[in-house]
Amino acid sequence: MYYHKNLLRKIITLAFLIVNVDIAHSHHSSAMFDKNDIRHVDAIVKEFQWANPHVWIQIYIENQNGKQEEWSIEGLGTNGLFRKGWRPNSFKPGDIIEIKFNPMLDGSSAGGFIGAKLTNGKTFGRW
Amino acid sequence: MANKKNILKFIFMIVSQWALFLLPINSYAQNNLTLPDWSGVWERYEGNGGMFDISTTKPPEGRAGRPGVRQYPPLTKIWEEKYKKNLELVAIDRLPDPISVCGTPAGFPRLLALPDVYEFIVRPEQTWIITENGPNIMRIYTDGRTLPKPDDRWLTYTGESVGYWENKTLVFKTISMIGEKSTILDRSGMTLSDQAEVNARMFKTDEGLLRVELVIEDSIALTEPWHVTRHFRRLITGTRVYDYACAENNRNPITNSGKTLTLGPDGKPIDIEF
Repeated sequence: MYYHKNLLRKIITLAFLIVNVDIAHSHHSSAMFDKNDIRHVDAIVKEFQWANPHVWIQIYIENQNGKQEEWSIEGLGTNGLFRKGWRPNSFKPGDIIEIKFNPMLDGSSAGGFIGAKLTNGKTFGRW
Repeated sequence: MANKKNILKFIFMIVSQWALFLLPINSYAQNNLTLPDWSGVWERYEGNGGMFDISTTKPPEGRAGRPGVRQYPPLTKIWEEKYKKNLELVAIDRLPDPISVCGTPAGFPRLLALPDVYEFIVRPEQTWIITENGPNIMRIYTDGRTLPKPDDRWLTYTGESVGYWENKTLVFKTISMIGEKSTILDRSGMTLSDQAEVNARMFKTDEGLLRVELVIEDSIALTEPWHVTRHFRRLITGTRVYDYACAENNRNPITNSGKTLTLGPDGKPIDIEF
């Protein structure tokens, strides 16, 4: 009886653990990003800045005039991302990727990272 | 006969050397001190983006820093007004988080609600709480010392902590924290005064969580003791802890008005409104 109670308690705790894992935290307020707007675009990686407090992916996106525009996409910190499977070379200059992000509210060419997919099918973040 | 004497002498020498080696352990044993195993790497169990007291957070799933999300400690009238002003700043993205400038620690008790991972180093004479994010180091002395006298202390981010072991529960008190001048408890803008004192009990639960029960008293900010409980869960064996150099590539400086800027790769703000 005691064993069953203990087992049940462990299962409940495990369920709470799974539900309660905090999935994201920004070093600063993320209020500048429009959480209601999700951009999903093709992009070319210019640079991947693997550094704290946040990683940044510099990408080129083709604008409406067919011109390449540089955008800065902000991710979380290196340590938590590493534990989620990211690596310092996850994105290499010249990589063609699909990327999802929340753009800045004021229309600036920057955004908050949501997810990305490489041409080999590997994904990062929420995809 | 001489041979027997030599054997006894040899045994005495071995035993006495071992006794000397074991002396510190024996002295701890005299205090009935059996330290708990808090080894490994841990992370905060509670979510809500670092809301400090999730038991009173509304809405219950609300995250720190989101407009309209707050907690309900037993605040004095003055402190409730201060908190409301900060909540208004949060709503317009103008509440500066002191740790966003990458120069100062989060301080206690906020350091119990940070992202990234934790280590709890337990030694007979002191326990260290090390947070990867920041990083922060908190020392809780358990060597019998008392809290420093008023003339021997000044306000700091982490304060002064002393405690003792009650079986496998660490009981400690923290005073002399810098409070609202330079710290917040979370991004909802909750603060305490520099008169705050924290009494804490920290122990491992049957489920393997590390539980911290806090009783916060603050004659200026609180009308009665504020009870807050936080937990940590142990990550898988082998989890590593990494360097966290916050100033390494901080592309989000805070302006004097509290606005968070976004810098381009050239270091210049790319915010259109700036």
